[in-house]
Amino acid sequence: MVISTGLLSLPVSAQKSQKLTDPEIASVAVTANQIDIGYANIAIKKTKNADVKKFAETMVKDHQAVIDKAVALVTKLKVTPKDNATSKAFLAGAEKTKAMLNSKTGAAFDKAYVDNEVSYHKAAINEVQNVLIPNATNGELKALLQSALPLFKEHLAHAEMIQKQLSK
Amino acid sequence: MRSTKKSILRNSTYILCALFFLGSCSSPATNRNYDEGKKDTQGTDTIVIAQMQFTPAELSVKPGDTVIWINNDMVDHDVTSDKKNFFYSDTIHVGKMWKMVVKDSASYHCSIHPTMQGRLILK
Repeated sequence: MVISTGLLSLPVSAQKSQKLTDPEIASVAVTANQIDIGYANIAIKKTKNADVKKFAETMVKDHQAVIDKAVALVTKLKVTPKDNATSKAFLAGAEKTKAMLNSKTGAAFDKAYVDNEVSYHKAAINEVQNVLIPNATNGELKALLQSALPLFKEHLAHAEMIQKQLSK
Repeated sequence: MRSTKKSILRNSTYILCALFFLGSCSSPATNRNYDEGKKDTQGTDTIVIAQMQFTPAELSVKPGDTVIWINNDMVDHDVTSDKKNFFYSDTIHVGKMWKMVVKDSASYHCSIHPTMQGRLILK
């Protein structure tokens, strides 16, 4: 089953059975954050809804902060993020989602963007909790992923809040 | 001579007032260990912002107490009263803090991350 978000397009069995190295985990973490920044930049350009725009601006700042932390850590650890099947699948899914978002306008765009944010963050939380954190061997990388989890959970709750407002 | 003294006194007062005002703005939260919810001997309470939470989420304070919010999180936050324009901070950047003298009970949130909520309860 292929769903519109990058993460959900990954087969669940592959997510559970995969064993990622620290350089691969770093690549997945950075890629997943970059993808959400990409979605947010589309929203900032297209939306006329103040709440949706503010949310998108927060996504850009917050996910960039996580990327900055991750880049600082891999630089310190002298680790080079390594592309892998998971990060490639993320990117492939993201291209489809971006095309879908770019095809919509007005209220339909707002709904599509926010719906995607809800499902993307659910999938990201699942990936971080069940794949990235358990596979991380470096303590600092594991700690960074653990500290990012509450941020992603808040983003999910915030997106769900806007989703409710849009459905009224 | 007397007018010079008065002038010095007036200027000193202005500087002291300016320093006091600056004290209510965001400033670096370094060089001190803060325990969340702990009151020091001068009636100052601290609320730590970390892991997308205000800790303690509920704080009992006396009128006139100073509350300091310290951002130890990985992203920027702010402090905004639920009641419109009752009080609000500028953006509290990572590693910075903001303080306010409490006059009344109030619920507040982070306007950047509106699911983060806290409450000040007057004793």
